[in-house]
Amino acid sequence: MKRRYSIRFFLEQAFKGLTRNSVMSVASIAVLMSCLIVLGSFSLLIMNINVNLDKIAELNEIMVYCEYDLTEEQIVEVENNIKGLDNVGTVTRITKDESLQTMKEESGEYADLYSDITAENNPLCDSFEIVYKDLDETAVFNLEAELRNITGVRKINSVYKVAKTIDSLKSGIMLVFIWFLVILFVVSIFVIINTIKLAVYSRKNEITVMRYVGATNGFITYPFIFEGVIIGGAASALAFAIQSYIYVYIEKMAATDMQMITVLTYKEIWPLLVAGFLIIGILTGVIGSVASLRKYLKS
Amino acid sequence: MIDFKNVKKHYSNGTIALDGVDLHIDDGEFVFIVGHSGAGKTTMMKLLLREEAATSGTITVGDYELTGIKNNQIPYYRRNLGVVFQDFRLFPNKTVYENVAFAMQVVGTPRAMIKRRVPAILTTVNLADKLQCFPRELSGGEQQRVALARALANNPKMIIADEPTGNIDPKMSIEIMNLLMKINKLGKTVIVVTHEKNLVDYYKQRVVVLNDGKIVEDRIGGMFQ
Repeated sequence: MKRRYSIRFFLEQAFKGLTRNSVMSVASIAVLMSCLIVLGSFSLLIMNINVNLDKIAELNEIMVYCEYDLTEEQIVEVENNIKGLDNVGTVTRITKDESLQTMKEESGEYADLYSDITAENNPLCDSFEIVYKDLDETAVFNLEAELRNITGVRKINSVYKVAKTIDSLKSGIMLVFIWFLVILFVVSIFVIINTIKLAVYSRKNEITVMRYVGATNGFITYPFIFEGVIIGGAASALAFAIQSYIYVYIEKMAATDMQMITVLTYKEIWPLLVAGFLIIGILTGVIGSVASLRKYLKS
Repeated sequence: MIDFKNVKKHYSNGTIALDGVDLHIDDGEFVFIVGHSGAGKTTMMKLLLREEAATSGTITVGDYELTGIKNNQIPYYRRNLGVVFQDFRLFPNKTVYENVAFAMQVVGTPRAMIKRRVPAILTTVNLADKLQCFPRELSGGEQQRVALARALANNPKMIIADEPTGNIDPKMSIEIMNLLMKINKLGKTVIVVTHEKNLVDYYKQRVVVLNDGKIVEDRIGGMFQ
């Protein structure tokens, strides 16, 4: 007699199988979850490194610091001279009062150290943040030379060379990280599939009996597929919860203590995390179950 | 009806497990298959269950010709058999009820019918009060009775029992054998593979004696020589 079985029946069988083999089920979920967290953490690390490398490589800024004793008219003249140069895009003036204020804000709980400094005895100088248009090396070097020659300019800060070096190394750095990720992925899949194989092995007698009572391969396999989906789903959900908690913590920490580092926001990464975890978790759960069953299903 | 015609089974390591066996068993017969270790009893069981294929010869069981049966037909063939093993082979994580019900679920029996039939079968083997027990909570004899109930679940034409009394005490052995005799009286073919001389001699049924892969004796009302 051939008969179509309901999904509900196989789900029931899967849940019973999981709960009655709880030790191996929990072990499978724990291993899968751990691997997903390791993979997720490394992926997020790579994504954030990439963003920061991109940010550094695209730094087309030069900071120009004025002499300390310039009058307001002289500072305006310096600004006009800067704006008159060819390769200059935007010029933003930062007064010495604004610099002092920023410094106090960045000092957080130590801001009191600067409480004695007022507008009258402020030792800082006015500065300009210049964003240039042409990223070509000669054009940038010419601009740097022209800026140094402007009367009233004390010093310039350019990260062009650093940015260029990082840009040229970026693809190499990313390649190394991606290879690490691939190796980690392969190792994780290996570990996950072997754990599930162990879980299936512990039930090989059960599978043998199923065959003797006339169960078709499909009838034996479907509950294991559902078990794989449940194990994968549960591990993904747990991994997502833990990963999210850790990431939000790091994001907050970076926002206060490591402001020079750009960290992708949780809003940007959570859909990727959910999709990645679910796909890897469920696929490995199902593939592990089916692959492990194959040798017990040979007639 | 079971028909072995010149059946040979050679293993790749050179062992000749069955060497030209001819055997005919009619519907409704009770047959003991006896023999010493290595005589070929287990191989005969494996061939009957189509766990393995014969090297040559033909095996016909009812409408199925086992030599040429397709892999996807094997489960449907097995549904015509009820199998009892020495080590019971119950699902350890299923209750007594679920163990018996599972055999019926496999063949697609409706849930309502399973609910009616399982307690009835378990009553037949005197286990009506153990429905919700797990196998580990039962004695060896009780576990074997559950296995027998499972074998009967789909009302098969034939019961194959491989050393059904091998793991249980003598008193329980008699009980199991009596149940098998009762099942045979209901018209089912019963094949018991055993090496227990006392039981074979006591029940005086047809005895097929295997030795070195050959049938050396086949006698109705025979004794274990």
